[in-house]
Amino acid sequence: MTHAGELISAYLDGELGRAEIDQLLDHLNGCGRCAAELQEMQRVRSAVRSLPLLELPPGLIPEADAEVIPLHRNKGFLVGAAAAVVALVIAVAAIITPSATPVSLEELNSRYAARASLDPAFGPAKVVVPYLADFLE
Amino acid sequence: MTESVPLTWEEVARVYGRKIYNFAYRLTGNSDDAADLVQEVLLRVRKGLASYQPGSFEGWLWRITRNAFLDDVRRRNRRPTAPLPEEVDRWDLASSPAADIEYARISIGDDVQKALLELPFEFREAVVLCDIVGLSYEEIARAVAVPVGTVRSRIHRGRKLLRESLT
Repeated sequence: MTHAGELISAYLDGELGRAEIDQLLDHLNGCGRCAAELQEMQRVRSAVRSLPLLELPPGLIPEADAEVIPLHRNKGFLVGAAAAVVALVIAVAAIITPSATPVSLEELNSRYAARASLDPAFGPAKVVVPYLADFLE
Repeated sequence: MTESVPLTWEEVARVYGRKIYNFAYRLTGNSDDAADLVQEVLLRVRKGLASYQPGSFEGWLWRITRNAFLDDVRRRNRRPTAPLPEEVDRWDLASSPAADIEYARISIGDDVQKALLELPFEFREAVVLCDIVGLSYEEIARAVAVPVGTVRSRIHRGRKLLRESLT
């Protein structure tokens, strides 16, 4: 070979086969210029490789920072659904259980609707919808 | 060679996000551009994973990354406004103790980073994919869509130019 050239970088990167390595080493034995180039390339290569590996800016990939998001979301859905069921049972029980002072179904409905319209946290539908939407996304 | 292919884009983000960020930072020397690229790549990965055919995941991912990077460069070149000088970034970076450390980390390789930025793009890209990202020549060839011999030549010529800048 004339001079080793790009075999030098490929050698440093572990990209040469046995035959090429032997060929290169043979050449380096008798060629001071290529032997010096090998050393310089090694120096340049390690200078680039020792550049610090920078951290990702915080919050750049939020979904990846929290490893258990799908689990939380599923649990959130179940808790939300359970709370909704409990609230529904109580509401239905209140409606169907005969009480000492009779209240009409219409009155109960309007009371319930009035509170639900004032208090967004009140009412099973308000509990289920956001989680369900999230879950079905 | 068996390769465990990440199945969700969240996993891709977790495993490769930092590498993609460092790839872009070393190619541009700019932290905002690098952050934008990470988000763009993850978006493309999210869309592309559905149709991904098991094979060389690294080759696939870095081809996406490279294309996103080049699209971004083209878009920026069309923009008439001049980019903010990098010093502005560093003022922001140096505003908190954690950022001070990060700024110090960036400064350590200042001369090497500067020399990298002076390389023609093809050489810079090959050197960064090899020495920063840690891809094999074969993987770089797949990502850049050139023969392995071309990769070998670009890396060596890139390093020779770096040697000239650094001495």
